[in-house]
Amino acid sequence: MKKNIKIYPFTAIVGQEKMKLALILNVINPSLGGVLIRGEKGTAKSTAVRALADLLPERDQVEACKFSCDPLNTDQACSECLEKIKNDQFKTVQTKMKVIDLPVSATEDRVVGTLDIEHAIKKGEKRFEAGILAQANRNILYVDEVNLLDDHVVDILLDSAAMGVNTIEREGISYTHPAKFTLVGTMNPEEGDLRPQLLDRFGLVVDVLGEGDIGQRVEVIKRRLDFEKESDVFHQGFNQEQTTLADTIQKAVEFLPDVSFDDQLLEIIAKISTALGVDGHRADIVMMKTAMTIAAYHGRAEVTKEDVKEAAGYVLPHRMRKRPFDDSQFNQSSIEEIVNELVG
Amino acid sequence: MINNTVFPFVAVVGQEEIKNALIWNVINPQIGGVLISGEKGTAKSSLARGVCKLTVDTELVELPLNTTEDRLLGNVDFEHAIRFGERRFEAGILKKADGNLLYVDEVNLLSDHLVKSLLEAASSGENIIEREGMSYRHASNFVLVGSMNPEEGGLRPQFLDRFGLYVEVKGEVDTRVRAEIVRRRIDYERNPLAFEQKWQDQIVEMSNRIERAREDLSKVVVSDNAMQLAASVVDEANCAGHRAELVIIETAKAIAAMDGRKMLNINDIKEAAKYALPHRIRDVYDQPEAPPPPPEPEESEEQQEQEQNESGNDPEDRSEQADDQVDEAEENPEQESDSEMPEDPADDQTEADDDFFQGGEETLDAPEQIFQIARWMSQTDKGTISKGSGKRSLMVTSSLQGRYVRNRCPVKGEIRDIAIDATLRTAAPYQRYREKNDMAIAINQSDIRVKIREKRTGNTIIFVVDASGSMGANKRMKAVKGAAISMLNDAYQKRDKVGMIVFKNHSAELVLGVTRSVELAEKKLTALPTGGRTPLAAGLNMAVEVVKAGKIKDKDMLPVIVLISDGRATYSDQGKDAFEEALKAAGRIRAEKIKTIVIDTDQSFIKLNLAEKLAVQMDADRYQIEELQANSLMTAVSLSL
Repeated sequence: MKKNIKIYPFTAIVGQEKMKLALILNVINPSLGGVLIRGEKGTAKSTAVRALADLLPERDQVEACKFSCDPLNTDQACSECLEKIKNDQFKTVQTKMKVIDLPVSATEDRVVGTLDIEHAIKKGEKRFEAGILAQANRNILYVDEVNLLDDHVVDILLDSAAMGVNTIEREGISYTHPAKFTLVGTMNPEEGDLRPQLLDRFGLVVDVLGEGDIGQRVEVIKRRLDFEKESDVFHQGFNQEQTTLADTIQKAVEFLPDVSFDDQLLEIIAKISTALGVDGHRADIVMMKTAMTIAAYHGRAEVTKEDVKEAAGYVLPHRMRKRPFDDSQFNQSSIEEIVNELVG
Repeated sequence: MINNTVFPFVAVVGQEEIKNALIWNVINPQIGGVLISGEKGTAKSSLARGVCKLTVDTELVELPLNTTEDRLLGNVDFEHAIRFGERRFEAGILKKADGNLLYVDEVNLLSDHLVKSLLEAASSGENIIEREGMSYRHASNFVLVGSMNPEEGGLRPQFLDRFGLYVEVKGEVDTRVRAEIVRRRIDYERNPLAFEQKWQDQIVEMSNRIERAREDLSKVVVSDNAMQLAASVVDEANCAGHRAELVIIETAKAIAAMDGRKMLNINDIKEAAKYALPHRIRDVYDQPEAPPPPPEPEESEEQQEQEQNESGNDPEDRSEQADDQVDEAEENPEQESDSEMPEDPADDQTEADDDFFQGGEETLDAPEQIFQIARWMSQTDKGTISKGSGKRSLMVTSSLQGRYVRNRCPVKGEIRDIAIDATLRTAAPYQRYREKNDMAIAINQSDIRVKIREKRTGNTIIFVVDASGSMGANKRMKAVKGAAISMLNDAYQKRDKVGMIVFKNHSAELVLGVTRSVELAEKKLTALPTGGRTPLAAGLNMAVEVVKAGKIKDKDMLPVIVLISDGRATYSDQGKDAFEEALKAAGRIRAEKIKTIVIDTDQSFIKLNLAEKLAVQMDADRYQIEELQANSLMTAVSLSL
């Protein structure tokens, strides 16, 4: 990874609290299913996702594994690591979680992986050449302009996102490796919508708008100019805040397994989903998990109704059946109404 | 290897139909698999994985969407060929699947070609390869489990028929059940091993039951009566072919075996029919591309009428009404021969029957919508637009984008997009005899194979709307706007793009560039000015330009021009006869072979049939719409495609 491109500090982003929280929650709990950030150009969407890299926690992995396998989770290890772990012939190293880019122009073979052509021609042997999904395992997979992704690449993402496994059966290669990633997408809805199925895969969705407050807007420009002038100095200015946030995230990760919830909340969640006519059960599950993660972030051992309410705002907007001529503005407020009524 | 722990089958809340269908198939692979259709997030794949864990000898083999043909069928092992100069068969997925469960997620997104090979093997139980100097065959008996989300398009009926059973899933509605689902899921994710342990007893019990049923299956006796009942149920449902009867019998056998019985009873047949018929019932219109129709036996018109008169839409009554029919079906065989079947008390049946016909009730709405898609799809059959495969929007593409599915010999001179795997396989057996210049492999020109790619595209619909001062322009604009936005909004047609050209006064204007965005369409179409004269030719010419520009960007686009006008052209920017000029523009459209639809809005007393003349000139379908509304417009467009 090249480190020379200076990344704008996450904590220096003005406003956009919802977007920032959604990203943080996904770092704390990678099983939330990622986040889709929708909004116009120039609303710091990509900046925020890339800035996240700096805050990502360190974790254990088997040394030199191209899938960053977790030595303690044999259930999700690649075949080579499984062998190594069994024979106790491996080293554990600490690596930082990463943001892996999936460019919109990526071809299918680069995404799933393919036959290593050089090796095949030089050695006459078949070898698997890992693709982007291999790198993405246990990391964040970031797709900018996700709505412009080719359909067949979307199919592949759906395939592996469903089971956390990438199965390759192509070009003479038959291979399986873990591909459990947090999917983060950004898009400008003016350039087209997402396929409903991919939309549903995103655990959370945030709609971002430009800041309306003049003071805030001025601050955005000021910081940007400062950053561009002397990024080192700028970074130092936010060092304290960055460290604090990284610590909070680390603590929340450790605290998350201890968070408990009242069974009654589950029924409230089910009621909300039914009232809003949400498909399937993913919304319910993600809503509870998001509420738990919010509690962990605040260092609370018990999920509150407020947490559920907050979670609903991230989980529901994109899962309601859209009908022609529906005003999305109305949708948003009706969600809040129903949630308020049911949560009490 | 990966995912050793799977959410336990027995711990899945509800979804009894999928569970049943999977268990029966594992007990009796003769049933021919199951197609699970339904919303995302309804535990489809967890259950498929889970059921394999309940048996000792069945494994789950996956067919991912990235599969290429060589890996499905098997092909020359090029490693071996290079080393030893001989063609050795390297088994593919169909070999791996032999004796196992083959799971295809999103089977409706799989290339037609692969689906065809897959289903051939599924029904013959054998994989035969005759190609590239290889002749090989091996057994391939597997339980085929497919899942699909109908929002993404349907499966062709000939493919549908190959799946033994069909189950439609829905999410649970009961809040307490929903809460339980979340509770278990979170429990499981926190500690999968402990969760599995908690369910161990029930897992063992279920797998014992399945094991016993498998042993007992061969002992289940199928009486003539049962066969006749199956036949009459199928007949009643107006199903094509004889596969349905066989599937019903095989399924009923599995049901009886699971129950520990050696005799089939009426309920077994009925229960089996619920799963075996829904996707086989013939459509009223006998559409070749019909989607899965509702799982309700087709009734004659008379009966339908009667039913409506008697019972309206009350599901209770409907089921009773239909009940009678099934009863009739039962009576027939009993009259003809001595019944070996246990006489069934009537009250025992009602529960099952209610489910059956309520199930039918639930699915009634959905097919209507898919049906529209079926009509949309048929456009490629006409062959006027593209060399499409007939399935909506899935076509072979000549661009470098798209999914690599197969390979072929290059047409002379054209070598790009090389299929390296196929090329290596072709070259491999000759390596012992070739000069290699320090490489492991030498490739001759004749070895080279290129990729065949497939890509899905939607239609690009360009509305060309008359906004001149003639009558009803405002209303017309509203209707077109409504139609454009609903087309974009409709999840089924997500791949379609829409654009709009408006002509009035002295020129045409592209008010909405071709887009897939609902948001943008709404924004751009808020205010549409109307009035002035009718420069029809300008509108048509602009449409041609838009299509041409689009083709540069995307060679495979399927353009459709929808002209909404009464044909009364009144303005020519060159000062010529306006209608003549419009006819000339229409000729251009025809020359470009662009699919066109004319919506004739002529409402005046004396019709001049100008729009008709234009339609003839463009070789377009023409619809006369008196009362132009978004709905009627959409229907007309979809009928035509």
